[in-house]
Amino acid sequence: MKIDLEKLKEIVGADNIKNDIADLYIYGSDASVHKGLASVVVRPTTIEQVQAILRYANAELIPVIARGSGSGMSGQVVPIDSGIVMDLKKMNRIIEIRPEDMLCKVEPGVVDDELNRALKPYGLFYPPAPASSRVATIGGEIANNASGIRSVKYGATRDSVLGMKVVLANGDLVNLGSNTRVEASGYQLDRLMVGSEGTLGVIVEATLLLKPLPKFRCLAKASFNELKDAGESISEIIATGAQPSMLELMDNIAITAVNTTLKMGLPDVEAIVMFEADGKVKEAVDAEMKLMKEICEKHNGFGIEMSYDVAERTKLYAGRKKLFAALSRYQMGLSCTSLADDMAVPYSKMAECASKIHEIAKRNNVVMTAYGHCGSGCMHTKILMDPTKKEQWEGAKRAVEEVYDYVRSVGGTTSAEHGIGLSKAPAWKKEKADSLKMLKAIKKALDPNNILNPHKMQDAPEDWVTATELRYPVE
Amino acid sequence: MADKHLKDWKNELNICIRCAYCFEGCPVFKIAGWETDSARGKIILAYGILTGNLKPSQYIADKIFQCTYCRDCSERCSAKVSVVDVLAAARADLVEAGFASDTHKGMAKNVEETGNIFGDKEIKAPVQKGEIPVYIGCQYLARPNQTKMYLKILEKLGVKPLVKDEICCGYPLHALGFRKEFAEHKKKFLELFPEKEIVALCPTCAAFIHEDYKKNVKHITQFILEHLPEKNLGLKATYHDPCDLSRVMNITEEPREILKKLGIELVEMPRNRKTSHCCGGGGGILMSDVKLSDEIGIVRIKQAIETGAPLLITPCPTCEQVLKKAAAVVSEKGDGTIQVKNLSDIVWKALKT
Repeated sequence: MKIDLEKLKEIVGADNIKNDIADLYIYGSDASVHKGLASVVVRPTTIEQVQAILRYANAELIPVIARGSGSGMSGQVVPIDSGIVMDLKKMNRIIEIRPEDMLCKVEPGVVDDELNRALKPYGLFYPPAPASSRVATIGGEIANNASGIRSVKYGATRDSVLGMKVVLANGDLVNLGSNTRVEASGYQLDRLMVGSEGTLGVIVEATLLLKPLPKFRCLAKASFNELKDAGESISEIIATGAQPSMLELMDNIAITAVNTTLKMGLPDVEAIVMFEADGKVKEAVDAEMKLMKEICEKHNGFGIEMSYDVAERTKLYAGRKKLFAALSRYQMGLSCTSLADDMAVPYSKMAECASKIHEIAKRNNVVMTAYGHCGSGCMHTKILMDPTKKEQWEGAKRAVEEVYDYVRSVGGTTSAEHGIGLSKAPAWKKEKADSLKMLKAIKKALDPNNILNPHKMQDAPEDWVTATELRYPVE
Repeated sequence: MADKHLKDWKNELNICIRCAYCFEGCPVFKIAGWETDSARGKIILAYGILTGNLKPSQYIADKIFQCTYCRDCSERCSAKVSVVDVLAAARADLVEAGFASDTHKGMAKNVEETGNIFGDKEIKAPVQKGEIPVYIGCQYLARPNQTKMYLKILEKLGVKPLVKDEICCGYPLHALGFRKEFAEHKKKFLELFPEKEIVALCPTCAAFIHEDYKKNVKHITQFILEHLPEKNLGLKATYHDPCDLSRVMNITEEPREILKKLGIELVEMPRNRKTSHCCGGGGGILMSDVKLSDEIGIVRIKQAIETGAPLLITPCPTCEQVLKKAAAVVSEKGDGTIQVKNLSDIVWKALKT
């Protein structure tokens, strides 16, 4: 692939281009198991520069992969066909905060936590809160429709995006959505962009819906000797109409991992459920917490600790927040791989899903954990395995298929919040079999030359194991 | 072999899940902004060398050496990946492959020939007989007035320091990848200091002697706190945690207790203790990349100025040097003023009155 570096230098300046093999290698990775190689990395700082890059790439049929912090777990930003990796982290201005309209406008490279720090003095916050909020960029979160612990009450990114500016494959700039909470005019193109993983356009500005910071927030942790009881507590909390602002599950593998790595001192039990309520009125928060506590106790939950104090809440939640990486220390020789890492199932199936994950892991000789933002139906797992062994990858591949076969069988979905990319694409394509033509038609209409993050989602290779080289050297 | 040292860290490299959480506090990444400059970027480079995907090059060496060793990355890493150990191994492989910079080679030669990093034969420890072995370190030896001040503080507190004709602790050789030279140097150091317990003045020397030589090291702040009487200096100050003291030695409260005992009103920077922001002086970049070191120092000094305190106190000679320079630059630009002082100045001021 021939790329005119001089042309790119004219657009973004020589200081904003990298093409040493070392840079290309680094920008070929993310938090997934995949590995690719970029042809060049460019760092635009203005919308006009993004437009010029796309006009050039579209004319020359060069793939363009837009990238935030590269913290995605499914290979969304791993280049398959080389191409231009567009690092958007330098477009990181908070353009305006309009408390009177409960919205803000930001560039795509703004980091989630930094935005929330800027919003705090206004008594506002941006709710999606993925665990990676300390590094995840707003552009990346929108492209993945990220969500997190508070999605049970405040929804996912899609529920918090009012509008955006997008540069299309041909370099045209379009304004999608509006500055209003509701919009009923025609196709919701802004919503189409949310979760499109950079395959339909490059988001260069976002208008985000803000929420008032709650005055009171109370977090509790309940222990369970049976995973089933924990899952049933979660189902019943939701079914009774309680309104948690967080409802999380951790199984015994997750508990062991955080205790081993982070010396968290969590109780050695089969499962922990964390539940939180927030609001303006303390009595209302108390009532929600009381209801959820009673439900946990009804399902044999015990050792329930509860706190309104910020420091204590942070301590209570720290284990869950740091779980993903901590799983890598579960057992010497096993690495934590982001495989079958994310799914959603109906509430009534939470307990069954968690048990199924353990059962599938055992059958395929890998270790799998069950945890997640179960209050929003989201279940996470990871496959812990020796990534240097070929047979472990074979087991992992079978496990991934079996997990998603189960998820589909109960009416669940392939991705709750981590996206599709490469590693979840085969399962997702099965789930969306009857709408694949529509998906491909949309892609073709908006990106006829297939330059925007090609070979992802509906266009991804059939076998995720061979879709790219694996980041691990397999012996 | 390009991976002679790195291969010992293969498991650690597999444990890194590449979540990028290390971006959050990495001082080099915050300045340069490319992922190549982040801890994750460097870990991926090390992985590339180990797996043979990447051939060692001067560019890769420059990136691997462009780290302050502040360990903020490992502190934030939920898997607790030992980034500094991986990079030290990568540096050793790169040095053996011929990619050491002239500056670093010169420093290694200095240590070998003069026993100190500066290559200055005039730098000598103020040898004296005593009861408690005290290790001063190159940086303080190059600042004889401060060394003298610390020794006077100890004497004033009723302690007789034993000072030997010491040599560099060897940390720079190890950190910059000169493993062969370090192996020889280590023998000499251990012959000179067979004692199991040592009091060290410099945080970096203290951390290294503690971690690598497995000695029971007390940092001077711990020692002072045990013996210090209460005073009332009536000052207001902020405190900068040296990375090696806070993140390696886990010494964050003792210096603060000293300031409290001296009647100093402490105003904390938002990034303090284990989340302290690096001064920019570590990992060898003070010698090899002065511009980057200066820029990181300016970030930190601005954080200190934002506290409103007129004074910043630190017990590390390198942090003091970098932050003093940063304070001068910031002041000259009209972006605020703050005085930077070594803890010894403050303690001695209190004791002599």
